[in-house]
Amino acid sequence: MTDIQWGYALNQWKPQFDDFVRREEHERALKTMSIAGFTGVELTAASGRWEPFGNPQQLEANFGSLAGFREFLTGCRVDAVPAWYYDPQQRFHETLTPALSPLVAEDVTGIVEKAEWFAAALAELGGTVLSVRAAPSGWDVPADAEDVVERLAACWDAVGRATARHGVRTALHVDFLSWLRRPGTLDQLLAATDPDLVGLVVDTGELTVAGIDPLALLQQHAGRVWHVQFKDAFAVDEAQEYLEPHSEYSVRVRGGAREVPRWFGEPGTDGGLVDFAGLTRALVEAGYTGWVVVESDQSPHPAQSALVAGYLLQRELRPLVEAAAAPAV
Amino acid sequence: MSAPTERAIKWSYMDHWRSNGPSGPVDQWHSHRTMSTFLKQVKAVGFDAIDTFDFRIWQMYGDYGGPAKYQEMVTDHGLERIVNTFHAADYDVRSYAPHVPETHEAILEDFRVTMGRWSEIQLDNIIVMPATLYYDMEPVTEDKLKTSAELWNRVGEITAGYGVKLTCHHEFFCGIQSEADIETFYSHTDPAFVHLFLDTAQHCIASVDPVALYRRHAPRVSGFHFKDTHDVATGDDHRNRPDSEIMAPTTGKWFYEMGTPEGRVDFEAMMTAVRDEGYRGWISVEHDKANKQGGDYSEATAVSRWYAKNVLENIYR
Repeated sequence: MTDIQWGYALNQWKPQFDDFVRREEHERALKTMSIAGFTGVELTAASGRWEPFGNPQQLEANFGSLAGFREFLTGCRVDAVPAWYYDPQQRFHETLTPALSPLVAEDVTGIVEKAEWFAAALAELGGTVLSVRAAPSGWDVPADAEDVVERLAACWDAVGRATARHGVRTALHVDFLSWLRRPGTLDQLLAATDPDLVGLVVDTGELTVAGIDPLALLQQHAGRVWHVQFKDAFAVDEAQEYLEPHSEYSVRVRGGAREVPRWFGEPGTDGGLVDFAGLTRALVEAGYTGWVVVESDQSPHPAQSALVAGYLLQRELRPLVEAAAAPAV
Repeated sequence: MSAPTERAIKWSYMDHWRSNGPSGPVDQWHSHRTMSTFLKQVKAVGFDAIDTFDFRIWQMYGDYGGPAKYQEMVTDHGLERIVNTFHAADYDVRSYAPHVPETHEAILEDFRVTMGRWSEIQLDNIIVMPATLYYDMEPVTEDKLKTSAELWNRVGEITAGYGVKLTCHHEFFCGIQSEADIETFYSHTDPAFVHLFLDTAQHCIASVDPVALYRRHAPRVSGFHFKDTHDVATGDDHRNRPDSEIMAPTTGKWFYEMGTPEGRVDFEAMMTAVRDEGYRGWISVEHDKANKQGGDYSEATAVSRWYAKNVLENIYR
């Protein structure tokens, strides 16, 4: 029996820091993803008064309490916040927290504190997974750095142990700029972490741009996959530009030397590289139970992207899951 | 296991869409690809069917091989069919005006030809604005209303021959838009051949209560446009030259999707009336010009359907 729930990440509604701050914008976006067939909304950790969904303190400031936020979601017919994405490099004005690194032993306590902050909130919001940026960008880790895998593993085991106290699992998210693109390192990190404490996020778009086959990764580590993000990819970083300095802007935002206009897109649009039907079948075969969060990771037309993805979900992906769950005749 | 209960109401989407192209907004009829993207979105939010315009028939023949072939594309996207068409006539008092008897034969011939073009699929309604622009008909007299009614009785007989209802949609800027004129008009029409297609926003803008109007005429209402407005027409809004619909000085955008906090239509009362009158069939959702002033068709369509599903269907479904 496979029990997959389908969520949505609203990131394309917030292309810039001063966008998507008003309640009526949130309400329309949430209603749009709800009517398109998605029942949960994934959030991304952020800081400041123009990030109403960025962290528990901002939710409380805007909605009175976490319960108040959940009530707002329910009013939009959104059931839960299945996951929160947290990058330790995110600074938090609210707590005067600087950027932290999972490679710095002195930072681990701070990362654990922040992870618990989000995990406790997730527990109130119906969430199950804290999705963490597993490693800094490739360019940001010296080529001769030692014990990288071991240091990462120590950090994430500690985080996993802390979030588990709240009933929330910690899962490693690998983006296309990650140091974990280096051959063999992701396998090594999964082997080095406690499988009871740390799992894996399969983000189809990020992995595809990174040149990693998400289907093969899913099949190889099926038991460790605790969260899935379905987004499409339109190009592959074949030139290893992720190793360029400050690739977060020069490659991810500006598109690298080719000035790729859009790395990512919604499932169901033309020209994408990801096989979502194949991935859904693989999830079913692996007996995956959990959330699949669909996203565009920016779009020139946010609502259209949500609806096109909803069409694919309703007409193709969910029927694959339902067919597998139906009793044999 | 019990059989699913048949729904009393199905939802159709009136197609005024604009699509997103690489060089800017395009008509969704731009290509099969843009049409497919449009239909996917309508289906994704849970509509059952679409309505369209008469003038689209040339693209149906040119790009798809006719209405039946185009309807196949609609059904391939999981939608049931095309329910209604809107006959957007180019009224002119010299050649095509319901209150001018000398133009009636041209209008009748237009409908004979039009119905033939549509005959390869089965529509429920052909919708008309039953009068010219207000300023082309004023002063609106009983004689003009009666002359108009006589025309539509004859048109309705033609469309009925094709199994399609002729139904009237009263824009706030047309010659038959006040409560008194609407009542006089219908008093001269044959209920067997002339029906009412109730647009909640248009009546609200014209200061006619759409719920009360519906309750008075329920037996002859053959469909609805559920759309909202934030404004009521004032002064000469309804007779603004050259245009009231998008050029009135007072109001840049008359029409909105259901489900906005500023909306003036009481849709819950409307749906309650629809339930109380025992209406069964299609309700069309519309929000023409939704893209004006920064609006977005995809989001407006999603929000309106969300409202229908989560609010109105709790009253009647």
